[in-house]
Amino acid sequence: MKKKILSMFLGISMVVSMAAGCSGGNASEDKATDASTDAPNTETAPEESGEGGSITLMAPDWAIPTEEQLAEFKDETGIEVVVNEVGWDDIRDKMVTAAAGGQAVADVVEVDWSWVGEFYAADWLEPLDVSDEVKADMPTLETFTKDGKVLAVPYANDYRLSYYNTKQYEDAGIKDEPQTWEEVYENCKTLKQKGVCDYPFALPLNAEEKTSTYLMWLAYTMNGVVFNDDGTLSKDSVLAALQYEEKLIKDELVDPADKTSSGMDAYKRILSGSANFLTGPTSFVSKSTNEEECSVIGQIQPILVPGKDAKATVTMALPEGLGVTKFSENKDAAKKFIEWYTSADMQEKLNASNTAIPTLNSVLKKLIDNGTIQNAGAMMEEAELIVSPFPGGVPSYYAEMSNAMYNAINKMALGEMNAEEAYAEMEKKVAELVKAE
Amino acid sequence: MKKKILPYLLLAPMILIMGVLVFYPIIATFSYSLKKWKLTAPNDIRFIGVKNYAAVLTSESFWYSFRNTVFILAVVVILTTVLGFLISVFLNVNVKGSGILLAIAILPWALPPYVNGILWKFVFSSGYGFMNKVLLGLGVINQPVEWLGSRWSLLLLVALVVTWRSIPFMALVCLAGRQSIPDGIYEAARIDGGNTRTIFRTVTLPLMLPFFGIGITSASVTAINVFDEIIALSGYSDLGKNILVESYLTTFSFLDFGKGSAVTYLVMFFAGILGVWYLKSLNREVEY
Repeated sequence: MKKKILSMFLGISMVVSMAAGCSGGNASEDKATDASTDAPNTETAPEESGEGGSITLMAPDWAIPTEEQLAEFKDETGIEVVVNEVGWDDIRDKMVTAAAGGQAVADVVEVDWSWVGEFYAADWLEPLDVSDEVKADMPTLETFTKDGKVLAVPYANDYRLSYYNTKQYEDAGIKDEPQTWEEVYENCKTLKQKGVCDYPFALPLNAEEKTSTYLMWLAYTMNGVVFNDDGTLSKDSVLAALQYEEKLIKDELVDPADKTSSGMDAYKRILSGSANFLTGPTSFVSKSTNEEECSVIGQIQPILVPGKDAKATVTMALPEGLGVTKFSENKDAAKKFIEWYTSADMQEKLNASNTAIPTLNSVLKKLIDNGTIQNAGAMMEEAELIVSPFPGGVPSYYAEMSNAMYNAINKMALGEMNAEEAYAEMEKKVAELVKAE
Repeated sequence: MKKKILPYLLLAPMILIMGVLVFYPIIATFSYSLKKWKLTAPNDIRFIGVKNYAAVLTSESFWYSFRNTVFILAVVVILTTVLGFLISVFLNVNVKGSGILLAIAILPWALPPYVNGILWKFVFSSGYGFMNKVLLGLGVINQPVEWLGSRWSLLLLVALVVTWRSIPFMALVCLAGRQSIPDGIYEAARIDGGNTRTIFRTVTLPLMLPFFGIGITSASVTAINVFDEIIALSGYSDLGKNILVESYLTTFSFLDFGKGSAVTYLVMFFAGILGVWYLKSLNREVEY
């Protein structure tokens, strides 16, 4: 009998404990459990926070403010920030899963430029108020704007800048920096022929996002256009860019490893001297002066991106921003946090603490002028050329379009199709997506 | 009366757990698969019957992924069965240190799949891969081989990596099966004039069939569900994608929950057919 009672008791306790575990609980408790244990401020329960309440922030490690910075924000506003540090790759998945169930994964979330279209179409982001002064000083804000609504504010600048190894140019007897893409190609051939650099052009060709974006800015800087007004691909421009890439591959100016290694590995070849020319992220300005990352310090020069007949007059930005989720119950506090986080003062501080490149051009100029950002080269000039290549903003089908683009380019690189066939494949898919929109 | 209620009460927690964590998601996914439900069109969610299934089954991308899945499945099942059995034969020999050998043999099974993929990516990477360095060093090749650069070589590598992770379980199951066969049966077979080959064919193999059944079912489920290794080796490339990657891309990258759920259901359907076939053909009752 005792055994029966004990079994029943254990059975009932299990059901009760499971039901408790599955219960929704209140929002503040959820936030407390969501927060990662090793992030700043996570030990303070939201109930203990000040008058301003508490908000949650989900962002990758490079976007997390220091404990001192968060303490300053709390002192200023009374708002406690509970940090949930999540790997960049996982943020979108978490956001999608939570939003599909009508839940806020956090009050303030990381928003990559490429997610803007789909998040806007899904109605997951709260429009933000940004002053005209900030709008004028922050060209990358355009990337986060759809139908006149600002959906996120960029905190880390990333736009395309070109780099070349000056010493290798000297060794090959090349005097001037390249002005056009054709000059880049000719110079790469010279570098290879003279045995200075076996694979001078760093080009991501693996089936991944960086391969699509490379084609976009190559077409954009080469011909000033990537997409037609209706969202379909601009054939002349994109095909010319594909043919340029095909030419580089066929002439063995690109390392065969770039076809299957990650895009970042392809970029990083310039830091070891195994590549001479790169058009890539602005973060390479600081990487090229960092002894731990670069073995050819003093040889890499950031320059304006080449164009068709002279230097390109536009460049593409790929920034990261912070937005407020539509399902947040603390929208006002979340907006206040973003305003503080992206302010001029904080951009300077975040450059020092997190090496974030400012998105406000005035702050960027200040940091270059006072020598905080070293070896800046044409960084400031290029920042003033940022214009989004998407006529109606980033489309809601961007992920599917990018997938079709990078797979077609990868197949071209692996010799399964030529540039014309690769273009036809991506054009067909993009046209389908535009039609279904 | 009490006796009749008690078993149900004791089963209740498990029924509840299975209901919430297994049956509810299965039913919910099926209902999603019958809807037009793209997250980027939140105002256009509606019932569309089997249109998602029709779209998936007429899509070239799905059948490409399906063929890749079948290839990986075939290679994994064949290699895992053969190599797992051979390793179990070696492990069955009782020598000094056989316990340590057993522990070493189990190691790949304990590795998380993504770590497994990363590990093999280092081996087969085109530029800095260990395999290329060894072959170049030995003078076998002059130029690095692009192991991950073609569809079939990539799929073969994925299958080998999954096989490497699946073999320990098969070896353990075979070892358990081999050790459960009474020695008396072998003695009787020898007295009846059986040689090693005959005894293996007529005694060992038939008596071990149920154990092969368990091992093959497990290897098949692993081969159909392979995801991490593919992502680690080739990312979301079209070349090596299987139906699970297709399902992930459709659901979470392209945010089409309706079509993604249909792909998921089709994966479940194919895996179910395979499971039933294995159970019927291999899981026989064995009497000693």
